[in-house]
Amino acid sequence: MSHEPSAHAHAAHTPEWEVSVWPFVISFGILFALPVAFGFKFVYGMSFAAILALGIGTPMIVAGIVGWVREGMSSHHGEGLAFPAMGWFILAEAMIFVSIFASYWFNRLTAEAWPPAGSIELPKVLPIVMTCVLVASSFTIHHAEALLQKGNRPGFNAWLIVTMVLGSVFLGMSAYEWNHLFHENFTADTNLLGTVFFTITGLHGSHVIVGLGIFLAVLVPALQGRINEPFVKTAGLYWHFVDIIWFFVVSQVYYW
Amino acid sequence: MGTLKEWIFTTDHKRVGVLYLIGSLAAFAVAGIMALLMRWELTTIGPTLTANPTTYNVWLYAHGAVMILGFQIPALTGFFANYCIPLMIGAKDVAFPRLNAFSVWLFYVGIILAILTFFIPDSPDIMWTAYPPYSTITSGNTALYTFTVLILGFASILGGVNFLTTVAYMRAPGMTWNKLNIFVWCTLAAFVLQLIFVPVLGTAVTLISFDKYLGTGFFDPAKGGDVLIYQNLFWFYSHPAVYVIFLPFIGVVYEIVATFARNRVFNYKMVVYGGIFGIVGLSGVVWVHHLYVTGMADWIRIGQMVTTLLISVPVGFTVIGLVGTLYKGSISFETPMLYALGVLFLFLIGGLTGIPLAITSLTLHLSDTYYVVGHFHYVMAVAGTFSIFGGVYYWFPKITGRMYSEAIGKLGFWITFAGTNIVFWIMMDIGVKGMPRRYYDYAHFPQFENAHQWMTGGAALIGLGFALAVLNWIVGAIRGAKAPDNPWGSQSLEWSTQTPPPPGNWKDVPTIREEWDPYAYARP
Amino acid sequence: MRNRPIVAAAFAAMASAAHAADVIRDPAAGWDYLWYEVLVDISILGIAFALITAFFVIRYRRRAENEVGKAGRLTAAAAVGWTVIPMFVFMADDFFLAANGWQLWNTYRQPPANRIEIKLESGMYSWDYTYPNGVQTQNVLKVPAGKPVLLRMTSRDTIHSHFIPDFRVKEDSMPGRVTYLWFYPQKPGEHIVTCAEYCGIMHSYMIGKVVVVPEAEFTAWYEQEERKLAGGAGQPKKAGA
Ligand code: HEA
Ligand code: HEA
Ligand code: CUA
Ligand SMILES: [Cu+2]
Repeated sequence: MSHEPSAHAHAAHTPEWEVSVWPFVISFGILFALPVAFGFKFVYGMSFAAILALGIGTPMIVAGIVGWVREGMSSHHGEGLAFPAMGWFILAEAMIFVSIFASYWFNRLTAEAWPPAGSIELPKVLPIVMTCVLVASSFTIHHAEALLQKGNRPGFNAWLIVTMVLGSVFLGMSAYEWNHLFHENFTADTNLLGTVFFTITGLHGSHVIVGLGIFLAVLVPALQGRINEPFVKTAGLYWHFVDIIWFFVVSQVYYW
Repeated sequence: MGTLKEWIFTTDHKRVGVLYLIGSLAAFAVAGIMALLMRWELTTIGPTLTANPTTYNVWLYAHGAVMILGFQIPALTGFFANYCIPLMIGAKDVAFPRLNAFSVWLFYVGIILAILTFFIPDSPDIMWTAYPPYSTITSGNTALYTFTVLILGFASILGGVNFLTTVAYMRAPGMTWNKLNIFVWCTLAAFVLQLIFVPVLGTAVTLISFDKYLGTGFFDPAKGGDVLIYQNLFWFYSHPAVYVIFLPFIGVVYEIVATFARNRVFNYKMVVYGGIFGIVGLSGVVWVHHLYVTGMADWIRIGQMVTTLLISVPVGFTVIGLVGTLYKGSISFETPMLYALGVLFLFLIGGLTGIPLAITSLTLHLSDTYYVVGHFHYVMAVAGTFSIFGGVYYWFPKITGRMYSEAIGKLGFWITFAGTNIVFWIMMDIGVKGMPRRYYDYAHFPQFENAHQWMTGGAALIGLGFALAVLNWIVGAIRGAKAPDNPWGSQSLEWSTQTPPPPGNWKDVPTIREEWDPYAYARP
Repeated sequence: MRNRPIVAAAFAAMASAAHAADVIRDPAAGWDYLWYEVLVDISILGIAFALITAFFVIRYRRRAENEVGKAGRLTAAAAVGWTVIPMFVFMADDFFLAANGWQLWNTYRQPPANRIEIKLESGMYSWDYTYPNGVQTQNVLKVPAGKPVLLRMTSRDTIHSHFIPDFRVKEDSMPGRVTYLWFYPQKPGEHIVTCAEYCGIMHSYMIGKVVVVPEAEFTAWYEQEERKLAGGAGQPKKAGA
């Protein structure tokens, strides 16, 4: 595909074919880190090969994200539209939760007895603490954004870090709880309650991890003084979404 | 042409689109060859090509999964959307070019996974529907299917996010919603469906792998689960998925018909707000028509019979719009138009044969027979593929800057047209007479041997016709005559830029005048 | 259609059903009748659209190279009319079809009271029937002519579908749920039973048959099997197969 001559008149404005290697790198990283690793481990029982695949895939994903964020920071292409786009993405995400909750409701409402035989008492206090932590993190990120709006960058960085710490604490408590339940021999294959509990909290937890990952991608450049404001707002929106979903998890899984 | 590096790492929507096209055609070739192998196996009673039923079942699984997830959805919402939408709305690119490149490479990862089926031990033999309990007890690799779906689905969701944002915010000045090409509307609708429903499919197939490999019990009655939950989740996506295919393909046909009839689209607002919106609105409440024989509660089976039948209203609008566009037109019959008229004809057969299936009581006999297979090959495999082929022919000059051979194009069309009608008409006939689907062997139905042989012959014709078309493109892209900017004399915006379009599409972003409209041929 | 006589019979059956409510309606005959009706319906629609298209394609083919289409913009009234009228026509047809389908559905789902009720457990890859008196058979369902048969079905492994093409009926059997279907064998004869839900490697070989025998013959067989069962050492005998 050749540039026709008249384009030279506008040489300064004629865009070149733009390229980026990072999407390619991440895609193939995902190939190794998810399907290949999972397949080796769970389908063929080859743990070593699985670790190898993870070892190839994860660095590719990380490198890809780093490179992508770098490029994203230095161009002003489209990212201003990230906020509305995130709205659509959240619609899709919400549907994951809707369908998994629907399966849960259906199973539960047609069950002979609930909780099913073999269940143990789920903790009742810890989830409240976890809720407080997560809600607090929603407020802190909101505050961080407000500071950014006022131009207070160090303040923004600080409150962003607080948010991430809260998120990590939340994950830590979740891990503690899982560990505790494992020790009581309550796992995903115990019965339907185990199935539902671990799948739903696991799914939510993975969203918290993604949220923290997004914040990391905001934080690292921010510490070097580069902030893309629409991107910050978008990250915040996602975090609020993860927060709201948690209310459903708590009410449906722990307290119903 | 640009260097290889410029192609692989490109973030330009046109090149991303072409990458989609290449990938999905490769998927089509693979899945098509599976179809031919299946047809070969079915030529005689008893083992013909393979003595192992599992081999056949793997082909059938791969055929269904790759055709739908690897060929049609990516070709329609990947290739056409990418190539055409920014050009049609007068944008320089999509909203998130890098995200777009990410989608296309995820798509490649997805088809690599799908094709891995043939190279791993314990290939999946679970059919594209992957119903548990079979999919959770088979020795086949269910996880491969799970990941194929997840990755292709994720790619598609990112594409949806990208294009909905693009059309909402990046239209050229003056490009109002009512001036959008029908194809743009159709694709937007398809993407909305993808965003809402793909996650449900993703959940469904993830949960079967959880059940199988991690011991959860969602669908396992022994653990308190229910097998029908899966089927509900699956069809809650997979019915809308057929409209994800239908909408863009009818959109492509609209573009072709309007151009070759040089005519205004008939009753644009009815088509958009009645037809397209209506389909989106109804598509989420009809999935139970795939579960008529599962013993679901009667009230829901009957309720969804009514909603399924009502789908004929919005779909009927889109058909009326197409036929109406021919009225008082000035119709010429180049290859793309032949394909488009072929779609109209074949979709009528396919869509109308969906009506008996929609009627619960008739389905008690028809479900899971070759009648169903015939129905969906008419609507999807034939009408859908024809519109993809017609669309590629139509935009071929714009994409490559060259012309294809009209004679070979027409020849290919008539060969496939004949072949498809032989194969899929016979399918419906033997289905009504009781031939069940997914049969490796039909030893107990010897009366159908003859019919199966005819179908195998027809399938070879179809393959020949499609291969001719692909060959025509390859030769045309390399050695075809130079194409003018607007060979068909279309009004639509994508033809107004130079051929092939440069990076950034336009020298100056077009401004849309008040009286402009993509279909305004006759000045009123 | 080769089903013409059946269609006629269905007409007759329906007419007489109107007089005597206790007459059993045969879903298979009802199916053939409705199928015929729907086929006519969709053929008319399809041919109408195809003919109009063909007419336009011929009538409005391009005659001069620079010619363009002449369709004007629709007036608002025309646009609305062209939306609302087809909508009502299509909806009328839809409701007509739905009503007929529903009626037949009721026939399918409301088994007559004088039925014989048999349990079916399907498994990879066989059909195992249990009669009310405990007699069990595999892959052969022996039933008396002239008596409606109801199957209560479940499965011990994957999903199967008990399909009897001649009786125009199938329904899935699956683990954890009980489903049912009924059919009305009127004349002695043999009918193939085939599995219509993909259930594994031997799915296409999961075949059985319905053997319809005269009532007297059935009773004789039935009682003989029952005696065998009582005489045998508790172990249920498999007959047939
Ligand atoms: C592009 C794909 C596509 C499309 C568009 C459709 C369109 C329709 N389909 Fe189809 N279908 C499939 C792909 C598709 N289908 C697939 C893949 C399967 C099987 C999956 C599997 O099991 O593997 C399937 C299976 C399937 C079943 C389940 C069968 C079974 O397994 O038991 C049913 C049942 O209702 C059905 C019905 C319909 C109906 C009513 C429409 C309607 O949308 C059609 C509407 C169109 C028309 C009616 C014609 C045009 C309209 C007019 C001319 C107006 C006037 C008409 C009237 C008033 C009637 N389809
Ligand atoms: C879009 C979807 C699509 C398409 C296009 C097709 C196309 C074809 N299908 Fe398929 N089919 C399905 C979707 C599709 N099918 C699905 C969803 C199922 C159900 C699966 C299930 O039960 O789970 C199915 C099932 C199915 C069956 C049922 C088997 C069974 O139940 O046992 C059969 C049997 O004949 C069949 C045949 C064919 C044939 C002969 C074609 C032919 O039209 C194919 C002809 C095409 C070719 C031969 C390829 C030629 C192309 C080239 C040569 C291009 C070269 C390109 C390059 C070099 C880049 N299909
Ligand atoms: Cu049993 Cu198929
Ligand atoms: Cu459907």
